[in-house]
Amino acid sequence: MSSTDFTRRDFVKLSLASAFGVSYSGWLPRLAQAAEAGSKRKAFILLWMAGGPTQTDTFDLKVGHPNGGPSKAIETAVSGIQISEHLPGVAKQMKDLAIIRSLTTAEGDHEAATRLMLTGHRPGQGGVNYPSLGSVFAKELGDETNDLPHYVSISPFRFADVGGPGFLGPNHAPLVVSGDSNDPEARANLSIENLKPPLGVTKESMEKRFEISKFLQDDFASRTKGPSTKAHKSNFDRAKRMIATNAKGAFKLDEEPAALRDKYGRSRFGQGCLLARRLVERGVSFVEVTLDGWDTHSDNFNAVKRLSDTLDPAWSTLMTDLRERELLDSTLIVWMGEFGRTPKINGTSGRDHFPAAWSTVLGGGGIKGGQVIGDTGKDGVKVTNRPVKIADLYATMCAGIGVSPDHENISPEGRPIPLVDRGGKVIEEIAAVPEKNKKT
Amino acid sequence: MFLKARCLVLALMLMGATFVTADEPASGKPVAPRLTTEELAQWIDERFAAAWQVAKIDPPAVSDDATFLKRTYLDLTGSIPSVSQARDFLEYTGEHRRGTLVDRLLNDPRRPEKYVERTAAHWATLWRRMMVPGNSREAQMAVGLEPWLKEQFTANVRYDELARKLVTAKNDGQQMMPMNPTLDVRAGGPSLFFQVIGGKPETAASSVSRVFLGVRIGCAECHDHPFADWRQKDFWGMAAFFSGIKNGAVDDSPVARIRPANSTIEYTAAFLGGEQAKIVKGKTSRETLADWMVSPNNLQFSATAVNRVWLYLIGRGLTESVDDLDKASPAERRILDDLAKLFVESGYDLRWLIAGICNSQLYQRECVALEVTDAEPPLGLRPIKTLSPEQVFNLLEQALSLPVARADGSARFNGLRTQLISRMNEAASNNPDEFRAGIPQALLMMNGRLTTEATDLDQSRTLRGVLDAPFLDTEAKLTTLYLATFSRHPRSEEMQFLLEHIRKQTTGEKQNQAFAEIFWGLLNSPEFVLEK
Repeated sequence: MSSTDFTRRDFVKLSLASAFGVSYSGWLPRLAQAAEAGSKRKAFILLWMAGGPTQTDTFDLKVGHPNGGPSKAIETAVSGIQISEHLPGVAKQMKDLAIIRSLTTAEGDHEAATRLMLTGHRPGQGGVNYPSLGSVFAKELGDETNDLPHYVSISPFRFADVGGPGFLGPNHAPLVVSGDSNDPEARANLSIENLKPPLGVTKESMEKRFEISKFLQDDFASRTKGPSTKAHKSNFDRAKRMIATNAKGAFKLDEEPAALRDKYGRSRFGQGCLLARRLVERGVSFVEVTLDGWDTHSDNFNAVKRLSDTLDPAWSTLMTDLRERELLDSTLIVWMGEFGRTPKINGTSGRDHFPAAWSTVLGGGGIKGGQVIGDTGKDGVKVTNRPVKIADLYATMCAGIGVSPDHENISPEGRPIPLVDRGGKVIEEIAAVPEKNKKT
Repeated sequence: MFLKARCLVLALMLMGATFVTADEPASGKPVAPRLTTEELAQWIDERFAAAWQVAKIDPPAVSDDATFLKRTYLDLTGSIPSVSQARDFLEYTGEHRRGTLVDRLLNDPRRPEKYVERTAAHWATLWRRMMVPGNSREAQMAVGLEPWLKEQFTANVRYDELARKLVTAKNDGQQMMPMNPTLDVRAGGPSLFFQVIGGKPETAASSVSRVFLGVRIGCAECHDHPFADWRQKDFWGMAAFFSGIKNGAVDDSPVARIRPANSTIEYTAAFLGGEQAKIVKGKTSRETLADWMVSPNNLQFSATAVNRVWLYLIGRGLTESVDDLDKASPAERRILDDLAKLFVESGYDLRWLIAGICNSQLYQRECVALEVTDAEPPLGLRPIKTLSPEQVFNLLEQALSLPVARADGSARFNGLRTQLISRMNEAASNNPDEFRAGIPQALLMMNGRLTTEATDLDQSRTLRGVLDAPFLDTEAKLTTLYLATFSRHPRSEEMQFLLEHIRKQTTGEKQNQAFAEIFWGLLNSPEFVLEK
C-alpha cells in the first residue's frame, strides 16, 4: 500500500501528543500520580459473538413453531418483550436495551460476514482496506493525553483478519490483550504481553535503563531529525508510561471484590467484561470483548445454554456495574456477531449460517431502551417488518455515541470513505439523529 | 531550504530535456553501450547536482564511513556487520574502500560470509513483501516464495526474465517443501504467487499490474477509476489473460476471454492501455502478455523496477507512490524513464543498478528530515529509514551474538524469530520512511525474552564476551558494545556520559549491571531500529 499524507499527518499528531516531556529522574512515581485522574468520556463496548449467534434461541424466539425448537421464553423488565430463558440477568436489564430483530445482511461466509459487520462495508470492493469499527470510533472518541491506548481488544477470536485499523494505520490499531486460556486465573491471561519488566530486574535498574535510553534518544534526535525519529520517541514514551503506571492498574483484576468478580462469572469472557469496565473507567474509548463458540452447526441447544450461562452474568453485571458508577449513560454497549443462524433446525440439532433475518442488541449510552425493532414473523425465515441494513445499524451506533455518520476518513488512494456506508439511516426509535457534521 | 519543490520541478524538466536531446542518436535504432557502475553513479550525481543547483538546494554532506558502513550492510544484506567486520572497515583507509565494500556485499560468494547469498536473501524478502503486502494469512504464506526469489537474485537473473517466469508460472504439480519447522510455511515456485494472492483472474490482473507495471487498476474492477484514466475494460482486458487461473490452480485457458459475474459483457485480452492482444499460435495468453510486458519499449515495466530499487536503497522512490506511477509528476517521470532506459540497456541487470546507486554520492549523503509539510518532497534526498521486521531480527541476532545453528537452540528455529517477526508485522509499513511500531512492539523490545536474555549477565553472549575480556579496559568495552549495536565508535560526549554511569557504581557487580543497562539502552535506542 502506498504511503499517504494522511498517515504522515498522524505522526505529527502523535508527536504533539507526547509533547509533555518527562524528566528522567524519579519518573515512576510522578507518572503514576499523573495517571490517577479518571474521566467520564463517551465509550463503546462491543460484545463480539464470534461464529454467528442464533437469534431464535436468544432474542427472537419462535415458541410454538417447529423452528423454535425447545427454547423457552421468559418475561423481561419490559412487559411484552420476551427473550430466552437462559438470559434471565439480561432480561432484567431490558429497560436499557433495544433489540433489533430485523437485521438483514447478505454475507453468509464467516470471513466476509465478519468483515462486513466489523467494518460496515462490503469487503473486497475497490481494494479498500476498511478500518474496523473499533479503530474508527476510537479515533473519533479517543483522548490523546490518555496513557492507555484508545482501542483495546480483549482475547479476540475471529474468522478473519479483521478488527485492525485498515487504511487508518497502526496508530489506530487495537492493543490486544491476550486471553489464551479460558481459565481467568491462568498466568499471562487477560494481560498485556511484556508489560512487566523481566523478573529479577529491579525498579532501580529499570530507571537506570530509561535514564540511559533517554540520553541516547535525545542525542539521536538532535542529530537525526525527522518524522520517524519523532514517531519512535512518541511510541517509546507511551510504552514507558504504560510500564510506569502498570497500564494505570487496569489489569489488576484482583483489586475488585471477589463477590463482584464472581458475579461477572469466572470465565475469560466474564472477567473480560470486568476488565472492559476498568478500561472504560480509565478513559479507554473502545473495548471489544469476544465470546466465541456460536458456530453451532450441531447440538445447537446445549451449546447455546452453555454460552448463555457465560454471557448472561457477564453482560448483565457489566450493565449494573456501569450504572452504579454512573458510566452507563456514556457507554454504548453493542451485542452482535457476524450473522444469525437458520431458523430451520438441521439434522444434527444444529443451525447453519443465516444472514437474511437476524438479531443484534444495543444498550446503554444514547440508546432508548425497552424496545424491539422489526419482526421476522411466526417462522423467522424473513424480515416481515422494518428491515434494518448494516448501514442503518452503523448510523444508529454513531447516533447513540454522538459521532456524525457523515464524517469521512480519507483512504490512501485519496478516496473519502464515510463512517457509514451510503444510504444508512438512524433507527430513530432508539437513537436521536445527531446534528449534521457534529463531531465529538 | 528543502521546500523549493517548484523550482526543483522546473530544474528537472530542464535537465531532462537537455539530457534526452543530447543522447538521442542521429538516426537508426538507438544502440547505447551499457554504462559501467561508476558511470551510472556519475550519471546520477550529475543529474541531481544540476537540479539541486537550479532549485537552490544545498545537498547534505556525504556521511562518514561508519554511517556508510551500517547503511550499506542494512540495505544490501539486511543486517549489520559484526564487531570485527566493523573494526576492519573503520580502520582501513584505502581510497576505494566504499566501492570495494559495495562490490563485496553484492558479489562475494566466499565462505564464511557468503555475501552474495545474504544479499540475495534480503532482497528476496523485500521483493516478497512488495509482491504480497500486508499481514494476512496469505501474506504469511508468501514467505514460501523467498527461497525461489533468493535463487534468482543469487544468480542475478535478468529482471525481465524473472518477471516472465513469474507471470507465466505453471502448476508444477510438485509437493511444496516445508521451509522451517516452526513456520507453517511451504516453499514454492512462481505459481505460489498466484495462489497466495487469491488464485483468481481478477486478483492476478490487479497484482500483476501493480507489481510489474506500477499501476493500480483494482478500482476498475467495479467502476471506472475515479482519478486516473483506467476503465473497467482495462481491468477485465488484463484479467482475460489470466482466465485459466481458477480456484488457485495456475493454468492457461485456450481462450483469453472473461465475463465478470453478474455481467453480460465478455471481455477479450487487451494490454493495459487498450490495445487488443493477438494471442500467437503456440503461445499461451500469459506468454503473450509477458512478451508485451517485458519488452524494452515498455518503459512502464522498467521504470517500475527502477523505482522500487531506488525506494529500497534511498528510502523513498524517485516518485513516491511506487505502486502507482500515475501519480508521478512530469519531472519525476522524466528522470524515472531516463534511468529506466539505462536499466534496459544494462540488460535488466539488478546488481548493476544497485551497485551504481550505492556508488553515487547521492546514496552516501546524510539523511534529512523530510517533513509532512513537504507536499512535493525534493527529489533524491534521503529520509531516515525504518527497519523491516526481518531486519530487526537480523540485527538482534548479530548484536546479541545469537547462535544460528539449530542444534545450538537458534532463535531461527525455536520460535523466537517467528514471534518477533509476527509481532513486528502487526505494525510494519511497506514504506521504509514510515515508523509505525506501536506499544506492543516497543514493549517487546523493552521486556521481551530476547532482550531479557541479552541483558542478563549470565545468559548474554555479547555481555559475557565483553565483560570477560581481560584485555579490554572500560572504554574499550563500551566501544565494543557500540560497534556491536551501532557499528560505530561512541562520540566523546557519549563516552563521558556512559563512563560516568559506570564509575558511579560502588561494586564490581553493580558495574557489570551498568553494562547490562547500557546494552539495554542501546538496543532500545532509535539508532538501533532506524537507519540513518
